[in-house]
Amino acid sequence: MTDSVINRVVAGPPAPGHRISFLRLGSRRTLDLTELYEQSGRVAAYLRSLGVESGDRIGILAANSLEWVLLDLAALRLKAVVAGFEPGKFADTGELVARYGLKALFTDQDVAAGAPAAVRAFADVAEAAGRTWTELPEPVVYEPEEVTTIKFTSGSTGVPKGLGATVGSIDVSMRAVQEIFEHRGGDNLFVFLPLSLLQQRYWVYSALCFGHDATVTTYEAAFATLATARPTVVMGVPAFFEAARQQISQDAARADGVTPDAARRAAARRLFGDRIRYLWTGSAPADREVLRYLTDAGLPVYEGYGLNETCIVSKNHPGAHKEGSAGRVLPGKQVLFDEDGVILVRSEHPVNRRYEFAEPGDSERMFVADGVVRTGDLGYVDEDGFLFIQGRADDVIVLGNGKKVIVRPIEEHMRTSPAIEECVVFCPAQTSLVAVVSPSSDTPDLKAIAEQLARTNASFGRDEQIRKVVVASPRPSIANGMLTSQFKPKRQAIFAAFQAEITNNQDGIHAQ
Amino acid sequence: MPSDIETTARENLSAALQPAADPHGIDADVALTDYGLTSLQKVLFLTRLCEDLAVDLAHLSERDVAEMRTLHDVVDTLSRYAGKAA
Repeated sequence: MTDSVINRVVAGPPAPGHRISFLRLGSRRTLDLTELYEQSGRVAAYLRSLGVESGDRIGILAANSLEWVLLDLAALRLKAVVAGFEPGKFADTGELVARYGLKALFTDQDVAAGAPAAVRAFADVAEAAGRTWTELPEPVVYEPEEVTTIKFTSGSTGVPKGLGATVGSIDVSMRAVQEIFEHRGGDNLFVFLPLSLLQQRYWVYSALCFGHDATVTTYEAAFATLATARPTVVMGVPAFFEAARQQISQDAARADGVTPDAARRAAARRLFGDRIRYLWTGSAPADREVLRYLTDAGLPVYEGYGLNETCIVSKNHPGAHKEGSAGRVLPGKQVLFDEDGVILVRSEHPVNRRYEFAEPGDSERMFVADGVVRTGDLGYVDEDGFLFIQGRADDVIVLGNGKKVIVRPIEEHMRTSPAIEECVVFCPAQTSLVAVVSPSSDTPDLKAIAEQLARTNASFGRDEQIRKVVVASPRPSIANGMLTSQFKPKRQAIFAAFQAEITNNQDGIHAQ
Repeated sequence: MPSDIETTARENLSAALQPAADPHGIDADVALTDYGLTSLQKVLFLTRLCEDLAVDLAHLSERDVAEMRTLHDVVDTLSRYAGKAA
């Protein structure tokens, strides 16, 4: 038996007895994984009838659904390359076909009258999956360097960069994850992030390869379907878990006649169902308070680290977990540091050695020799082998005396006060730090903020002292343009809004 | 005089906002996003509201949810389904 996950997925039908469910608001479809595999063979025959062959590229522009998964598996079985486009981030089907050289582009959106012939509706896929085909695809075997999909970076501006993901990189990551989390028969992995993100498709491959259930839903329907899906594992992102913490806290506050701890655990079960083994978070730094709250509520959350260009580098898990860390480095990965402390990642099987679609110079900036990736993140590995991420190299403030200050740990420390919702540190004159604090309510607790300022300053070194705190009024919000849609602070907008208070010597709470 | 559905909706929306707002002070015609409600929080708010109103969420599609932009929209939509079986 091959130890390549991808080759096991395409080699033949999985063992019967495990199911995959597709949940939307108002609809549910469940099928055995053997049926999923059989249908994917019919869709592969359909793709071939369209002229799709090994090495051709097909696009998928759609929300998560059965058709999405069938197309992905069908492409795998033909050695066609999938380019997944997230609705909302990509729209113009004609432009996508031309820019990415797509043999076909499938979408769940209305196909415009003037769209190229290569653009096809999802209804065609559903019809093909139910049709009888005389010639089904022969099994294929992948080499580690072959590419199955194009990953797109989720940059906030410009055209996303496209990166071909190799089979070897997928296999190494999935084997490492399986080793530490041991997904098995009784598991049901809950996927709601877009399937255009390759890592979300890992959990479908995992179900087929290792034998467990999976549930696929959408971002919009996730919270409404969680309790009925009764997953054991939920693959999320920090914003999702922050919203969950808020809801559990609200529900627990309404409970009568039980201890706060029991109320919190009951509220957690009400939201996530009663079978959670663990929660997975990644893609962005998670708030430690949120992780602690959910873990205490009986929902252990494991944070990790990785980029599109590296795949999963490190991960906390039940067997090795340290709060605040991104976990130990996984087998097949090596973490190095350059002279500035920037994390470099070397992989046994790199995702790739350059972008397939990018502006000139992009690949050279990200990929160093031998496929080593320069992440742009700062961090360190502690004596127990746990990786800690300290922030982006871009977030480093260089003081007039040449000392470098990483602001993220200072901001996180300030946020440990219940009186402080958000904190952003600036260095207006290159000599000392000024923090802009968003209070937790419209009536700021100035005494508590001053006390936190003293605690934070006591915890950091001489060059990391906050000279004064500006209490933001109005508080940063999405509406006033000072927070992103994910509730993250926009540094430049906050600086612009409070520039006068930041730079003068009178306003604010001064350090004692 | 607000309906029972509107009263329940106001209470649930108030609890969903951070910080909580006065239920009676919420403008039913202001976009929920202007109150700081994210798409995830909106689904959570609607999930709890449907439970309180005994409205089966199966009546709603993602498009219905997307089109409920104000408290007014929410009350109008859920009023159509209150008391109906799925």
